[in-house]
Amino acid sequence: MLLHVRFLLSFLCLFFSQVILASSSDYHERLLLRPLPQNALLASFNFRSNESLSSFEQQNFRYLPRSVGQILQHAHTKELHLRFSFGRWDAESWGARPWNGAREGGTGVELWAWVEAETDGEANARWLTLTNALSGLFCASLNFIDSTKTIRPVEIFQPEGNHQDANLHLLHGALPHEVVCTENLTPFLKLLPCKGKAGISSLLDGHKLFDASWQTMSIDVRPVCPTDGGECIIEIEQTVDMVLDIDRSKRPRDNPIPRPVKIEDITCDTSKPYSSQDSCYPLDHVLEPSWSVAEIFGRPLKGACPLTAAEGDESETVCLNVPPERDVEVRTQGYHAQRMREGGFLRCYELPTGEDFDLFLAEQSLETTIPLPQSPLYATRSIVGHGQERGGVQAVITNPSDAAVDLAYLESLPWFMKPYLHTLKATITPTSDNSSYTHPIKETYYRPAVDRRRGTHLELLLTIPPASTLTLSYDFDKAILRYTEYPPDANRGFDVAPAVIRLLSSSGEESPKGVYVRTTSLLLPLPTPDFSMPYNVIILTSTVMALGFGSIFNILVRRFVGADEVEKRGLAGLKGVLQGKIGRWRARFGGKGAKEL
Amino acid sequence: MVSLGPAVLGLRRDARILKLPPYLSALCILVGVVWLLLLPLNDYSRQTYVSENALLPGQVHTYFGGSEHNVFRAYRHEVHSLVDKPNEERVTKLQEIFRSAGLKVATQKYGYEIGGRSIKGENVYAVLQGPRADATEAIVLVAAWRNMNGEINHSGVALMLTLARYFKRWSLWSKDIIFLIPQDSTAGPQAWVDAYHDAQAGPAVEPLSLKSGALQGAIAVDYPAGPWGHRFEKLHIHYDGIDGQLPNLDLFNTAVSIASGQTGIGCTIQRMYKHDDSYKDRLQTMLRGMVNQGLGHATGPHSSFIPYHIDAITLQTVGSGWHDEMTLGKTVESLTRSLNNLLEHLHQSFFFYLLMQANRFVSIGTYLPSAMLVAANFSITAIALWVQSGRPPKPAAKPFSTDSKDEGVEPEMTLVKEGDMTALVPASAFEIVERKLFLPVAFVCATHFLGLIPLYLFNRVSESALYPTFFLTALLTPALPLLGAYPFVTSLRPTLQHLHLIQCFSLLLLGLFLSALATLNFSLAFLVGLAAAPLSFVRPVPGKPRIALAAALVLSLVGPGLLLCVVGRPWLPSEALGGLLKGAVEAWAVNHAWTLQVVVWLVWWPAWVEGAAVLAVSGFVEAD
Repeated sequence: MLLHVRFLLSFLCLFFSQVILASSSDYHERLLLRPLPQNALLASFNFRSNESLSSFEQQNFRYLPRSVGQILQHAHTKELHLRFSFGRWDAESWGARPWNGAREGGTGVELWAWVEAETDGEANARWLTLTNALSGLFCASLNFIDSTKTIRPVEIFQPEGNHQDANLHLLHGALPHEVVCTENLTPFLKLLPCKGKAGISSLLDGHKLFDASWQTMSIDVRPVCPTDGGECIIEIEQTVDMVLDIDRSKRPRDNPIPRPVKIEDITCDTSKPYSSQDSCYPLDHVLEPSWSVAEIFGRPLKGACPLTAAEGDESETVCLNVPPERDVEVRTQGYHAQRMREGGFLRCYELPTGEDFDLFLAEQSLETTIPLPQSPLYATRSIVGHGQERGGVQAVITNPSDAAVDLAYLESLPWFMKPYLHTLKATITPTSDNSSYTHPIKETYYRPAVDRRRGTHLELLLTIPPASTLTLSYDFDKAILRYTEYPPDANRGFDVAPAVIRLLSSSGEESPKGVYVRTTSLLLPLPTPDFSMPYNVIILTSTVMALGFGSIFNILVRRFVGADEVEKRGLAGLKGVLQGKIGRWRARFGGKGAKEL
Repeated sequence: MVSLGPAVLGLRRDARILKLPPYLSALCILVGVVWLLLLPLNDYSRQTYVSENALLPGQVHTYFGGSEHNVFRAYRHEVHSLVDKPNEERVTKLQEIFRSAGLKVATQKYGYEIGGRSIKGENVYAVLQGPRADATEAIVLVAAWRNMNGEINHSGVALMLTLARYFKRWSLWSKDIIFLIPQDSTAGPQAWVDAYHDAQAGPAVEPLSLKSGALQGAIAVDYPAGPWGHRFEKLHIHYDGIDGQLPNLDLFNTAVSIASGQTGIGCTIQRMYKHDDSYKDRLQTMLRGMVNQGLGHATGPHSSFIPYHIDAITLQTVGSGWHDEMTLGKTVESLTRSLNNLLEHLHQSFFFYLLMQANRFVSIGTYLPSAMLVAANFSITAIALWVQSGRPPKPAAKPFSTDSKDEGVEPEMTLVKEGDMTALVPASAFEIVERKLFLPVAFVCATHFLGLIPLYLFNRVSESALYPTFFLTALLTPALPLLGAYPFVTSLRPTLQHLHLIQCFSLLLLGLFLSALATLNFSLAFLVGLAAAPLSFVRPVPGKPRIALAAALVLSLVGPGLLLCVVGRPWLPSEALGGLLKGAVEAWAVNHAWTLQVVVWLVWWPAWVEGAAVLAVSGFVEAD
């Protein structure tokens, strides 16, 4: 039976590849599951498909979604990066970010693209087209990325693709207040060839994805030209990375309330002197928690996506990063294959087609832990000071490594937050005697804000000595907005986009994707007028106007007659009304008849 | 209108008008006081209500209970076992418990030097990163290790530890929750909240290594029941902030509504544990609230948060009843859920109010006129004195009298011509009296700057010297005008007009300061206004040195400073006054509370010295 299925499969694959005249490796997908400390689980989905440049230009779309392709062509966009994120990556306990932060965005929505244009004005117009089109495609408010939120970064982003054109303009915009939710996931899934019906994308469920502690969705489109001079291809890469809380995700959907657990289920420390029936000092969990893919994601994996390669490395679409001693039970009816990699720390599975697939890990105590790569940088940023008039921003960047690092630091501030560049201070702790470290700011790119036109763009090139902390701070003034410029939730404050940090490796040998770290976004409270006051005034004036207008209108249109001229109401009145009606009808029909005569 | 102008101008010289101001001043004070006394009546106060729809107080089911109770008891034993342990061990253990619950933990050391005494401590705090949060907003839950009375807050701290573990399992938090355990109830929270905004005073207060977003609200719990627990009767809610600033009324209302409506705990305020909703109890609650607001000191760990526009309250358990720690835990859970619901910073409800019961209040529009009337009485007197200082010393007596008796003293007459009309007018009516302003202005300025000396001294001398300094100041304040009067007269030769102008400027400043202060700290403005009320009615007694000195002495004696020091001594416990002084100095140094001391030493004290000086000096000035 299994053989038959496999034969059928390979036949199908062969058939498909013949029909679509492309190699089966034009579409790849992979899911990496990695348990993290504190009962967290990293699930990293990656989908990649290619399209040759010639067929892209002829609008001959196969794996590259037509909707995205046409937008890119219409807006003359050569390379596109779109991110939807929320939550925080806990670098201290979870280590380095997936993809080294290159597939991650700041809280909310972030978009940057290389647009081909002759002039800046043309680039802006095409950027506007692009944001508006993407806004419709992804059900996100990307159209709010206007000139006040757009910057042209200098150092922080480098193109990932291979571009021949010289007239490329890099534009960047961020919407930190945008809440990422299911309506953004659905169009995201629709771009995939298997559309969430099969393959690893069948695990993506809005309920679980948006219950994650940290989540980011990304779409990257770039042209890739082989070094041997072959035909260039357009590559679209979609990723979803999320960190799920195992305990929280395992709760059934119909009973999500974390009621206090039964006292029998808590391990108490009985060595305490007061330990008794009614006192229980809870002990930490020493066992690795049990979980299964179906439990965590709320549904099992619906078999392989038939468009992925049938054999070879690319066919192993699910990988699990656990120590070799961890027992993993595969639950499926269909054919599957398992391969151990990286000394047994990585297990990869070839999925059955058309059959559900599930991985079950029982509760177990482990001797070894998986080695987590250390985060190259830790960065936090916060608003300091208080009051309605001015404030300050403080960013703390820590370099835990033994080598000095160079980095680019980008801040894109809204226009109503007016920084004073002369207050920009960078201090290194602990202070070192090395003179090259006394001035950590190597270069500054600064484009000041223009009220209601554009925001501040501040880019810094910094050096942090080994095992040191850099504290960057500056003061700013808060502008007073016009009352129509406040959003409906004016008293919440205004979100300020996260700072983006890119590591510039000194060796020069770096992947084109780069290493990124983003801080959290900030909430900037601005002086807010009492909006209920105009509201009260509006209500009051409306009432007065309604009263005045109503009575005058009433007097104007009403016909006044003497009391004795009014026909008597009651039975006679009703009779009169009826008679009148009948008379009118008769007149109408009678009139008609008269005409005909 | 044409006829009104000259009539009004004519009134200026009417002797009856000039007699009116003292009565008008007295009326202002009377109306102001009566106004305040009317406030507790049903017609002038209002039932409290929750303005912010997002809060939904008591609408969520609370699940804190069951096995959490066992964990709570264990943590309370742990807290008890740490009482006599060194500070490091306490901090380590608290950190360990927070960390085992999966929270991020950090500590902060702080130290303050006040009058030769040093306050030192270490704050422990843990951040629960909300699963739905993006690090932009946070709620703070505080349980000080020692409460305001210096007792160990056993159950309060244990409750925080248990709640941290319990809250971690929920996935609905849209804001970070910070659990803060400061070592004491005033300096610790102040050091923490200062450092959170990077406004810490000096290197003795460490910066925070772990931060979250903008703080939206803070709830402090004070439940000092020991390791075997104690069932309480009521919740006593503290809401006074530093400098008399108050949290948004919505937060207070939410707490009251949850405690009384959902968990069935009665609420009291201002130490009015037995409140029968009578007029007397309402008035007493309101007056106690005003005294607390006027003093502007910290009344709990929450007070330090309020100047940073973070609404905060303290829930303190009082009495013996049948509510246990789980009920309190559920109250805090529900309150945190309500704050978690907030979409915007609390802004809907009142920031200026007087509470007379847990569910009755008056808002600023209703109570403000009373303090403003009291302040206005000084301005009225000041204007009257200004007019008086410009009048000729002797009013013309009956210029047109045809009485033959006056024939000998014929008043000097001037012929006035206007157009065709001519008239004979007494020359004194055209006499211009020039106001000599230099001496009065210099004197008033000097006295106000003199107030800086006690302000400086009180915040600099060591703690043991505080009481003697106060005694000395209280003695010198009346002695200064009495002893200085004669030298002042002989050296500068002030006239009666000078004295009128000194008093005029002094009262004018007092009225200005108090009316401005009434919008910042109503209670302080009202109380200081009442305390300075006699100054409105003091008038120079020229040419009678004995009477003047005696009157100045009496004025000084009724001055509250000396009254408190000499007369109040036998009745007041000796620590009370010392405690008040110590508290004021500590509030100044640690909590940056400035209104009380600045108003007392730079507004009220100079006014008093000037009033007594005018009286004392006037005895040596010749009547015109």
